[in-house]
Amino acid sequence: MRTRWLVLALVFALMLGTVGVSLAQDAAPAITPVACDEPGELTMWVWDENWATIIGEAINEWTTDYCPGATVDLQVQPWANYWDLLRTNVAGGDMPDVFNMSQTNVGFYQENEALLDLQPYLDAAGIDTSVWGSGMIDPYRSGPDGDLYALPVNWDTIAVYYNKDLFDAAGLDYPTADWTWDDFAADAEALTDAAAGVYGAAAYSEYQAGWTNWVAATGVEPVIASDHTTCTLQDAGSIEGLTFLKGLLDAGYMPTISDLGGSSADDSFNAWLAGRVAMVTGGSWKLPAALESADFNWDVVQLPRNPETGRSRSIVHSVGYVGAASTDTPDLAANLIIFLGSDAGQRYFAEAGGVAPAAPSQQQTWIDAFGTDDVNIQTFVDALQDSQGVTVFDEVWNIGNTELPVNIFDLGMSVEEATALGCEAVDAAVAGM
Amino acid sequence: MTVQPVRSTGRVSAAPLDHIGIGIRVVSYVILIAGAFFMLLPFIWMASTACKPDAELAISPIRFFPENPSCLEVAGRLYEQSPNFNRYLLNSFLVTAARTIGQLITCSLAAYGFARYKFPGRSLLFALSLGLLIVPFQAILIPEFILIKGLGLRNTFGALIIPGVFSAFALFLLRQAFMQIPIDLEEAAEIDGANPLQILWRITIPLSIPAIAAFAVITIQAAWNDFLFPLVVANTTDTRVVTIGIALLQGQRDTPYNLIMMGSLIATLPMLALFVMLQRYFIEGVAQSGLRR
Amino acid sequence: MSAILNIFGRTPLARRKAFWGLALIAPNTIGLFIFFGIPVLVAFGLSFFEWNGIKPPEFAGLDNFGRILRDPLFGRALANTLKLALIVIPLNMGLALGAAVLLNQRLRFRNVFRTIYFLPVVTSTVAASVVWTWVFQPGLGLIGIVPGLGSMQWLTRPELVLIPIAAVTVWQRIGFDMILFLAGLQNVPRVLHEAAVIDGANGRQRFFHVTLPMLSPITFLVLTLNFISVFQIFDQVFIMTQRTTPGGVSGSATTLTYLLYQTGFVRSEFGYASAIALALFIIVLFITVVQLRLQRRWVFYESEAG
Repeated sequence: MRTRWLVLALVFALMLGTVGVSLAQDAAPAITPVACDEPGELTMWVWDENWATIIGEAINEWTTDYCPGATVDLQVQPWANYWDLLRTNVAGGDMPDVFNMSQTNVGFYQENEALLDLQPYLDAAGIDTSVWGSGMIDPYRSGPDGDLYALPVNWDTIAVYYNKDLFDAAGLDYPTADWTWDDFAADAEALTDAAAGVYGAAAYSEYQAGWTNWVAATGVEPVIASDHTTCTLQDAGSIEGLTFLKGLLDAGYMPTISDLGGSSADDSFNAWLAGRVAMVTGGSWKLPAALESADFNWDVVQLPRNPETGRSRSIVHSVGYVGAASTDTPDLAANLIIFLGSDAGQRYFAEAGGVAPAAPSQQQTWIDAFGTDDVNIQTFVDALQDSQGVTVFDEVWNIGNTELPVNIFDLGMSVEEATALGCEAVDAAVAGM
Repeated sequence: MTVQPVRSTGRVSAAPLDHIGIGIRVVSYVILIAGAFFMLLPFIWMASTACKPDAELAISPIRFFPENPSCLEVAGRLYEQSPNFNRYLLNSFLVTAARTIGQLITCSLAAYGFARYKFPGRSLLFALSLGLLIVPFQAILIPEFILIKGLGLRNTFGALIIPGVFSAFALFLLRQAFMQIPIDLEEAAEIDGANPLQILWRITIPLSIPAIAAFAVITIQAAWNDFLFPLVVANTTDTRVVTIGIALLQGQRDTPYNLIMMGSLIATLPMLALFVMLQRYFIEGVAQSGLRR
Repeated sequence: MSAILNIFGRTPLARRKAFWGLALIAPNTIGLFIFFGIPVLVAFGLSFFEWNGIKPPEFAGLDNFGRILRDPLFGRALANTLKLALIVIPLNMGLALGAAVLLNQRLRFRNVFRTIYFLPVVTSTVAASVVWTWVFQPGLGLIGIVPGLGSMQWLTRPELVLIPIAAVTVWQRIGFDMILFLAGLQNVPRVLHEAAVIDGANGRQRFFHVTLPMLSPITFLVLTLNFISVFQIFDQVFIMTQRTTPGGVSGSATTLTYLLYQTGFVRSEFGYASAIALALFIIVLFITVVQLRLQRRWVFYESEAG
């Protein structure tokens, strides 16, 4: 089964020359850290207090076993202000040596040569970068040889969270991984109970967890191609995915953004948690919240397959560690980054059971850390196999994340008009860069 | 003409002024209660969310009171996730106190100078000071950061306090208040040989108690709620202020509304207590300043 | 030497007063110059450069200002800001003055009301954001108690979104201005009211002929501060649009300060952002200077009349 997938995935990768294929599953190859040459002092930024605790433990192991005598000043910055703060510090000539990076923000720093090239260090440590799926790391590659500038820390994929109790009440079978868009639409119709205020599905909110996954299933890179210039919103696949979703909305099986109270994926997910929506497209990062708060029976299943392509495709995003090009101690910074991305460093993330660790060998540990057999968490790992990497970036982020969904799923604009407007905005943003 | 303030009007003799007809009274209450409803909504929301268990956070439509109030449990989790929260509160307290006292000194001196003394460039300097108010802080964030770094103040309490003891807003507020005061008293004191500092301290400031109270409420509130500036110049465990502590409760993927609201509530209560304490000066100033001219 | 001294005043007394004046204003003025004046000058200097925050700045002459004139987003942001000023300032000043006058009466629970009206100034913006989004949520929101308003898409329709933003702005600002007005009302010498009563003036006449003129210095302060703050509206846009579309669909809720922030910190065009800041500065400075000129006609300073 897995081999078949691997072959399928490879074929698609070759055919489309696109990003988003994970080769990682079967071998679970090792990523081994190396000892540092010379200890020193590093400043490191992260944007999440929970991570700071986990990373702090990992760093302890590094300073004990791999780099005795080194010290790391680990600083937590608020997520909501992280990027503003980073730009302020960069402009003020005061970058941290090592810091967290996202795929949507990396372009700016790469293009301005502000990041440390990690490739020589990875080569020296004998680390084969293909252990990470291409969707996870391609956005972090740059230069003619595709050097890697960030090591992935963790990733997330998208699946459908469904309310088993509502499926039971409607007398429906639970969905399986080979279901199609048509099955999804039929289930959404059957699950909708207007009198009780229950919608069948909410499946469009936001860039990462919403409508883009449906477009990706047609084989189109959502919003903008990976060349960072070509708008894809008016491609046939984009129109197809959006038209399918708008059909569900118009038929009354999905709530509007105003019904949900906001356009964020959180708003959709909260409606699902509250039992107002039977199926929702949600990220793997929502597992802890769902396990904690859902007071009904539920499970997750892979996104339904597009009837023509037969593909179920999830957007994948990975957070990475980067070093500053301006750091005084590049060797040390790279050494720490490699340790944190290695099996040894990733073990701390896996055992904490929150976001999924990027090192393939640690994924089973991560699944086990949730301590539940009721939910098929493996679904999210499976979703890596045919996944779509992030192609959008700061300047075009809002267009796909909120503007387009609001126009279509709240203001009643036609898909053609909204996508034309979206491409105008993308073109303007690209031209202004 | 007498020099000292006279309590010419006690509350009893003020009857004709203070008498409010029953009609006006009723209308006033109706308007005030309607307004109060809107003013209170978000505060009630903050307090009720701070007492909600996780399971009740995502309920829609909005629920204003938790079914299972768990204030203490949420507070316990707040301190578990942010063990230094009290330290952040203390830092905010120190910074706010230092900034307010500093501003009271620098700005009342300057406001008095601008209100009562003629010197070359007076209008220009006043206009330039006011001009600083017009520039949005976002526009000067990076130069400000570089300046603080260059002065060696980065990540110190100095960075949090020193720029905050100078204020164009307080200068403007106090100058307007001082100009509202009859000049005769000050002139009389001057003839009696008092120097400007004595006049400011003994006459002008006591006569401006309501304005000083307004200044204090607004300045303390602004210093206490300041976020962007402390974040940029001094966000370390030792110098972190409480607004940053609250912001840190929110992760990239995880927004624990109950913890955030509990943190906000804990940080808001001292401000409310302060307002309740200070607001009586908005009335008592008046009995003092009933002047005979 | 005496020529130099003469600019400080013709008589020794005038000179002494001038020195005292300068000495009094020195600490605050010097501090403001160092900590705010210099950064402002640097920011304005940057508006003549192209700078992304990483590469060295490149001199761009007046390019950034030419771009302002061509940029449709700037025009939209300016129009949005002016519309907000037209809605917010009269409404806010009227309501704040009304609240202050009502709460300056000897009413029972006066202190409770004052505290409640001040609450929005200290309440967390996150709480405000959630509640106000709900107030304007179609179908479920509190706005539905007014017939016909409940089903409108207040937060996503470009032609409507400024109204909720204006509402939050006024809501957040009333308590602040109410305090300034209260302080001003308290500073009105009681004898003036007593004299007016003796002259046979009724309550309304006293309000218009005693209270309002005596309050005019504070009214002028509040008006000026309102203009300045309307041009810096940022948090409100953030609060009201972050859950739907940041900055509004097609920039319909984007204000000048929001645009400045987006340009600098999202698009990394710090030179252009500085040019926007300078343009904003010039616009508000112009309004303020006009107000300073006009104030001579309507603002009554006790110390000058005495």
